[in-house]
Amino acid sequence: MTSEALKIDNVTKSFSGTEIIRGLNLSVGKNERHAVIGPNGAGKSTCYNLITGRYEVTSGKIFLHGEDITNLSPYEVKRKGLSRSFQITNIFPKMSVFENVRCSLLWSMNYKYSFWHLLGSQKELNERAENIIVELNLAERKNTLAGVLSYAEQRALEIGITIAGGSEVILLDEPTAGMSVSETEYIVGLIRKVTEGKTLVVVEHDMGVVFDLADRISVLVYGEIIATGSPQEVKDNQAVQEAYLGAALEEEH
Amino acid sequence: MVSSTSQYSNNILKSLLPWIISTLILIILPFIFTGGGSVTIMNQIGITIVMAMSYNMLLGQGGMLSFGHAVYMGLGGFIAVHIMNFVEDGLWLPLPLLPLVGGLVGLGMATIIGSFSTRKAGVVFAMISLGIGELLAASCIVITAFFGGEEGVSGDRTWAPPTFGIEFITQIEVYYLIAFWVLISIFLMYLFTQTPVGKMANAVRDNPERAEFVGYSMRWVRYVSFCGAGFFAGIAGALFAINFEILTEENLSMGMSFNILLATYIGGIGFFIGPVIGAVGFTLLQTVLGLQTDLWALYTGVIFILTVMYAPSGFTGIVTMHYVPWQLGKIHLLFKPYAKILVPALIFVAGLTSLIELTNHVRHHSQETSITLYWITFESNTIIPWIVLLAMTLGGFYVCRVFAKEVVDAWGEANYVEKG
Repeated sequence: MTSEALKIDNVTKSFSGTEIIRGLNLSVGKNERHAVIGPNGAGKSTCYNLITGRYEVTSGKIFLHGEDITNLSPYEVKRKGLSRSFQITNIFPKMSVFENVRCSLLWSMNYKYSFWHLLGSQKELNERAENIIVELNLAERKNTLAGVLSYAEQRALEIGITIAGGSEVILLDEPTAGMSVSETEYIVGLIRKVTEGKTLVVVEHDMGVVFDLADRISVLVYGEIIATGSPQEVKDNQAVQEAYLGAALEEEH
Repeated sequence: MVSSTSQYSNNILKSLLPWIISTLILIILPFIFTGGGSVTIMNQIGITIVMAMSYNMLLGQGGMLSFGHAVYMGLGGFIAVHIMNFVEDGLWLPLPLLPLVGGLVGLGMATIIGSFSTRKAGVVFAMISLGIGELLAASCIVITAFFGGEEGVSGDRTWAPPTFGIEFITQIEVYYLIAFWVLISIFLMYLFTQTPVGKMANAVRDNPERAEFVGYSMRWVRYVSFCGAGFFAGIAGALFAINFEILTEENLSMGMSFNILLATYIGGIGFFIGPVIGAVGFTLLQTVLGLQTDLWALYTGVIFILTVMYAPSGFTGIVTMHYVPWQLGKIHLLFKPYAKILVPALIFVAGLTSLIELTNHVRHHSQETSITLYWITFESNTIIPWIVLLAMTLGGFYVCRVFAKEVVDAWGEANYVEKG
């Protein structure tokens, strides 16, 4: 048994002959908060899609807690304890906030494809859903259709859906993209709270958030990890400066 | 503790209330509509309700557009007729249990077809359902031993052992049998929407990808809904067999599938009771309007197109749209504009339909010049009716256009929420 929560071993991915991910190696320890940064088009979202089974890898292996999860389908990966959020909000717009969260709890609470349980009378399930909604700060919006929530609320719900099933490993894809300063603070606080004691991988463009949140950072440029280390190490890394971070930090100021 | 218990029983009562009311309505309906043939129509409505509700498990709840749902109803019906004939030869099965057998047949067929058709939703699913529908309809003519060829298979329900002394000879006895199964089916289908897989069916319909990322295989979720829909379609088929005592190739045909699609859509696929309203409306169009004119299918088609274009949430959607003005206490603002537009609208509809009927009459019954439309009899070979009807159509349409603005304005006003 390994203490690595997630390990990507020399993974490549080509789309019609063009290699987008070129021998990716990444290892995330248990309970670590790991950020992946890099310029647009570096392959960050593709990397998530490979881990969660949305795309098939061209070569290489992916391990979750030492178990091979390469090319499993999305629902199998989720059942093994890895859950993700999306860069573009991906919720159930025609269902209420409560239903969104409750649906995300169902599989982990072993309801499977049951047509013999009535949801209304599942006390523990409903209580858990309620608690998560309170944690998300969405209690007042409980019965609102998810599709009519404000953008920041939808992003919070997106995180709620992702963590609801109690997965050990959480992958967040640009959780603060397009948010105001105060909204960003709210989401970062939320992420800290709900991923307590879990392994977190986060793709993020906001360097403030990254350096605030992450224990370790990996820099992905053109489908390769060019550096991994503590925030300070990454900041000081010459290659990173040249390839990406210099420009990103300047933008910040 | 006491208060929470009484609140709990209150909630139970509250959730049971619609079912108690529905039961009472179904019991007293035959006493209200006593006219000749009304029981026959109500029986047909009941069967269509079960079928449309079953269809909505696919389309409305699960997002699966099927063009061949009649297959499951038809097979359930054919087996039911055959069993009726076995009962005649000595097999013991009380008639009220026959729909259960039909349901199991529908379920069995759905487990087979669904195993490959639910792999993909959308176009692929729709095309497979179309193919299976055509395949079964074609087999009807070929496999005469089972489907009876062109004349179909007939049976006699009265051979079944009497249930509590009832032999189901009269239409009214059949009515209560159908009403019983309508209630049971709607109740079970409602419960299904409240189960984990029923709720995930909505989730898969809205966002199949996200459903997979919360741990559910969209294919399995669809498959469960599909099997459930097949089960209830089979029940509808057996009810059809009991009511009409004959099944023909028509019951499996594409036309039947389309009728169900029409009924469900006109009623409103987004609402649980939408298909009930659609089934009632559609069957009335088919039977009552069908007696008046042989162009009823044309009018039904036009209503369908208008629904798709202007009221995609169906008739139920139009009604529920008025909930907001009602809640705001502004519904009265709509009364006057509605009343105002009603008269020209009726004139327009009367004019247009009369023109269509007149054309049809001249084209197909040219030896007979007298025609009765909307209780007025006149000669179809003179120019005056044409001018009057044309004036009604164009005039009615024009006035409707003018008054429509008032309706739109009143609608905006009635839905306006004051700030603060």
